[in-house]
Amino acid sequence: MTLVSLRGVAKQVLLPDDSRLDILHAVDLDVDAGDHVSIVGRSGSGKTTLLNILGLLDSPSAGDVWFGDESTLTMRAGRLDRMRGANVGFVFQQFNLLAGRTALENVAMPLSYASGASFWKRDALAAAMLDRVGLSHRMSSLPDRLSGGEQQRVAIARALVRNPRLILADEPTGALDVETGASVMSLLDEVAAESGAALVTITHDLHVAARARRHYRLDTGVLQPVDLDHAFAASTHAEPAATAIESGAPE
Amino acid sequence: MTARFSLAPAAGALSDAWSELRVHKLRVLLSLIGIAVAVGALTAVVALGELQRQVMAEQSDRYGGRIATIMVGATRDDGAPMNWDAMDARFERVAERYNFSRTSRIVDGAVTVPVQLTEGVTQLPSRLVDPDYAAMHRLTLLEGRWFVDEDTDLLAPPVVISEALWDMIGRVPVAQHPTLTMTGDLAGSYQVVGVTPRDGPWDTTPRVDLMYDTYRERLGAIPSDVAVMREIWVPPTIVDELGPVLAMDLRAGAEPGLTITVNRTDWGAQAGFADSALIFQLVTGAIAGIVLLLGALSLINIQLVAMRQRIREIGVRRSFGATSGRIFTSVFLESVVATTVAGTVGIVLVVLVMRSDWVVELMFPGIQDVPPFPFAAAITGLIASVIVGAIAGLIPALVALRVKVIDAIRF
Repeated sequence: MTLVSLRGVAKQVLLPDDSRLDILHAVDLDVDAGDHVSIVGRSGSGKTTLLNILGLLDSPSAGDVWFGDESTLTMRAGRLDRMRGANVGFVFQQFNLLAGRTALENVAMPLSYASGASFWKRDALAAAMLDRVGLSHRMSSLPDRLSGGEQQRVAIARALVRNPRLILADEPTGALDVETGASVMSLLDEVAAESGAALVTITHDLHVAARARRHYRLDTGVLQPVDLDHAFAASTHAEPAATAIESGAPE
Repeated sequence: MTARFSLAPAAGALSDAWSELRVHKLRVLLSLIGIAVAVGALTAVVALGELQRQVMAEQSDRYGGRIATIMVGATRDDGAPMNWDAMDARFERVAERYNFSRTSRIVDGAVTVPVQLTEGVTQLPSRLVDPDYAAMHRLTLLEGRWFVDEDTDLLAPPVVISEALWDMIGRVPVAQHPTLTMTGDLAGSYQVVGVTPRDGPWDTTPRVDLMYDTYRERLGAIPSDVAVMREIWVPPTIVDELGPVLAMDLRAGAEPGLTITVNRTDWGAQAGFADSALIFQLVTGAIAGIVLLLGALSLINIQLVAMRQRIREIGVRRSFGATSGRIFTSVFLESVVATTVAGTVGIVLVVLVMRSDWVVELMFPGIQDVPPFPFAAAITGLIASVIVGAIAGLIPALVALRVKVIDAIRF
């Protein structure tokens, strides 16, 4: 079943000199429930804009975004906010944990925008989620007392605490060393698979991208499927080949 | 369960606001000291206004009588001598129907008494009154007691003297039963039972207060050329209706040539008094208002600077489902909760200070009836705290509303 569907999505922004910058061109993408999609692309290719549109944080200049069987085009801002809160979990490159709040408070934060039992039992739910990511001993720690890997695990717990149907990870290992990044990605894959949520990962890292079942490349606003085997093969050789993906080399 | 659903957003917004205040304790504390001081100042001003009004009222009571005092006077315009005993009888006859709780005849300033002092017999100003006079004029004594009804039975009639006269007779303690000797028609020994304090350092008048009846008995009658007034203390709620009726009753059947006047003399009847109290309160209130405004500006300033640092946090919250309304409410409530807490602290401190007898005595020497801390002052302070919080919270909340999520999480 298709969870999110982008149909001919384009995004343009007006620059200060009144010229237009095209960020996305006629992007079509379907993400199914439980799917795992990776999108690679060089800096400035529009990856984050695409992720924001998928996460209902931004709206397209043209085209349509369907969430489930509803078009989001005409939805009011408040409804979009609530839909995003209930269905989407974000994992950011820089973790974006709330400073001064403990790990438990950070994980409980999304539940404070829920209603019913999720709201009133938010601390217990957050504690269980932290336990799931192996941080039950760090619940009272502030973000600046946690290592990078631990912070990202807290961020993963936060993204999953409301049982979202879609997890959007923007360079989730970008601020971590290779080993820590790998363990964080394993955890993210694991908990996403457990909850049956779809996972869309944006990354520069081919190893991270390779964890997905479907792979896309975004180049100057155009989204195309990519065969990572070629990219891997190229990356193990000379430098020009290592930048194959970034330069948009043919598949 | 339905109630829980509806309560969650409000409870969540309040919880967010409180959590924000808790996390940024130092910033909040610094910004709120000004608010606590300003709200405390505003509360103190309102409370001081009440105390000042009480002091002014008490001072006025000493001259014109307490609220509400009616003064009855009588004159003859046909040149015939005034018969004060007949006037007394007329008043008593009418008063029977009214059942007045306190009345006093007064002769003030028109009578002197010859007192034997060390430098010889000296004519001293005297005041002739009835026992009720003290209660009606908030008279306090420096020493001893005031007249009581039974004093008319004493063989040595009592007198109450002013502090200046007490100094002249060597400040002999009242407990040692000092006496005054008078000559002439009033010849005899008078027991000093009380001493009235000076009104201030300027008050050097040696005065003798005598009971009206004592003076009358010694002289046989009150001289006809002396003006005798009679004051009546009545409830303020009925004074306006009572005055004209009483005047009519007193004048009924009066012989030709006798003019009876009935006036209200207490400060409550003077428009100027209320005006001056209002002006005092307006001026001090305006000053406190300016202080409060400065406090609010400083809070807005700090909140706005803090808001710059919170843009990313707002973006993160928005990306996890916080609606713009929820962000607005949380930021707005932060200020309101903070200033309400600060204002309450300010109010409590002011109440503690103002309830101290020592402070009240120091600021308002001589005040008799210290009014309870005015509830209105505390409420005014609390309302001011909430309003300042709302004003100071509105601008940062509007800024928070304008935060673009996609920019904020990249910030």
